[in-house]
Amino acid sequence: MHERLSFYIKRDSVIHRLNPLTKLVLVFAFIGVAFTFPWYWMSLSLFLFVLIPLAFVAKVSREYFFTATRLILPAAGFLFLMQALFQPIGEEIIFQFYFLDATRESLAFAFTIAARIIVMISAFTLLLLTTHPSELMSDLTRRGLPGQFAYVIISTLQILPQMQAKAQTIIAAQRSRGLDTESTFLKRAGSVLPLVGPLVFGSLVEVEERAIAIEARGFTSKKEKTSLHEVPDTVTDKTIRWVLIILIILSISLNLWL
Amino acid sequence: MNININNLHFTYPTGLEALKGVSLTINAGEQVAIVGQNGAGKTTLVRHFNGLLKPTSGSVTIGDWDTTKYSVAKLASRVGYVFQNPDEQLFSRDVLTEVEFGPKNLGYTKEKIDELVKQALVWTELTDKTETNPYDLSPTWRKMVALASIIAMDTPIVIFDEPTTGQDFANVSRIANVIAELKKQGKTVITITHDIDFCAENFERVIALSNGQVLLDGTTREVLGQEEILAQTYVDPPQLTRLGKLLNLKETVINQQEFLKAIK
Repeated sequence: MHERLSFYIKRDSVIHRLNPLTKLVLVFAFIGVAFTFPWYWMSLSLFLFVLIPLAFVAKVSREYFFTATRLILPAAGFLFLMQALFQPIGEEIIFQFYFLDATRESLAFAFTIAARIIVMISAFTLLLLTTHPSELMSDLTRRGLPGQFAYVIISTLQILPQMQAKAQTIIAAQRSRGLDTESTFLKRAGSVLPLVGPLVFGSLVEVEERAIAIEARGFTSKKEKTSLHEVPDTVTDKTIRWVLIILIILSISLNLWL
Repeated sequence: MNININNLHFTYPTGLEALKGVSLTINAGEQVAIVGQNGAGKTTLVRHFNGLLKPTSGSVTIGDWDTTKYSVAKLASRVGYVFQNPDEQLFSRDVLTEVEFGPKNLGYTKEKIDELVKQALVWTELTDKTETNPYDLSPTWRKMVALASIIAMDTPIVIFDEPTTGQDFANVSRIANVIAELKKQGKTVITITHDIDFCAENFERVIALSNGQVLLDGTTREVLGQEEILAQTYVDPPQLTRLGKLLNLKETVINQQEFLKAIK
């Protein structure tokens, strides 16, 4: 079957070829700058003029926009509304919604927060789309990240697509037994158990099997491990990382200084 | 109830073209095995029979029903589909409720359900396990529960996806018995399998798929005799068939009886 086991899209681009750590630092640079740089339009500019072009460079623009419209923008929009209406700051009322008022200041504040969140999630999306989880983890463990920690991260990254794939098969199996998942609400509600049962149980069994499988390969062994798969780390990567770190420091200092 | 497949093409949303123009007719009461390498399109093809997949172009009709016009739940009354992994469909607290689930969905009368469930349990040799939780059974028995839960739906067409994978000899014979019983009742049985001996012993017609197209289609003897063509889809004829070839036997043999008769 053609199930995707992670968000990763296998393509060849400059971004794909970067070392995973470089991309991780890039993500934190985006977040650091968006949250600290003392310029009102910084987050939005980052999103429009850096993140979106990067998605094109990485050749994942289609998948990126799909995630953006389905997940990121709705979340940011909701956040914006909540912040705009519930922030008790400012005097100048722009509009009212029953007893809630949105003021110039609360709108500005909501905009900042929403834009920052957009940058944060977008940056992570870009990382996940261009980096295979196991590559990221093998690079990080090689640099000294404890294996257990890497396992927790990698299984979190993979569990959603995996459960989704599993759920698809279960739904198919139960529909083949005449389970009506398409008609009235009552019938649909009644069809939850046959779907959730195998999903939860199967996932638990899978977790246990996986634990046994990795233990059989010496997961908790204290010996130093070697990696079959070498992740390249070039001079360009190192340079980019240092530039990014300087940018973060610069942004934080500007924030403190101004 | 005949299955008519007319110039069926199917492309997955990922862009993978899994079926490239398949045309077949499977008549009521036929026992058909579908073989072929991984990725040849076997599962994709049979998932069109109960409407889980709808053709990108071309058509599939089950009796007088065009699969695009009926929901999977509706088509379930005509086509039963046993999935490869029983854990993906079992959810009830005991075997009996599990097996009753399908026929209840189809809205049969109480008497009919009881009768069908009883028969399915007898065929799968589960009569003494009706109160067990399916998850307390061994994987081989869980497979039988999955089988029973589909057979009890009394559909004129039954599909098995890799029924013998990971099963011991005893269970493979049980599955073969179930297929023989279904045949006696005049039902169509379609099986995807990699187990070529199982295929040779239990099916009269074999369809070999390769790369989304029909490579060979004919009686089991005709198809399994074409060693070179089968090699294209990485299927080896049964050992006895190959031995017969090496011994330069005149006819293609596919099972023990035939082999013994030929070398006498």
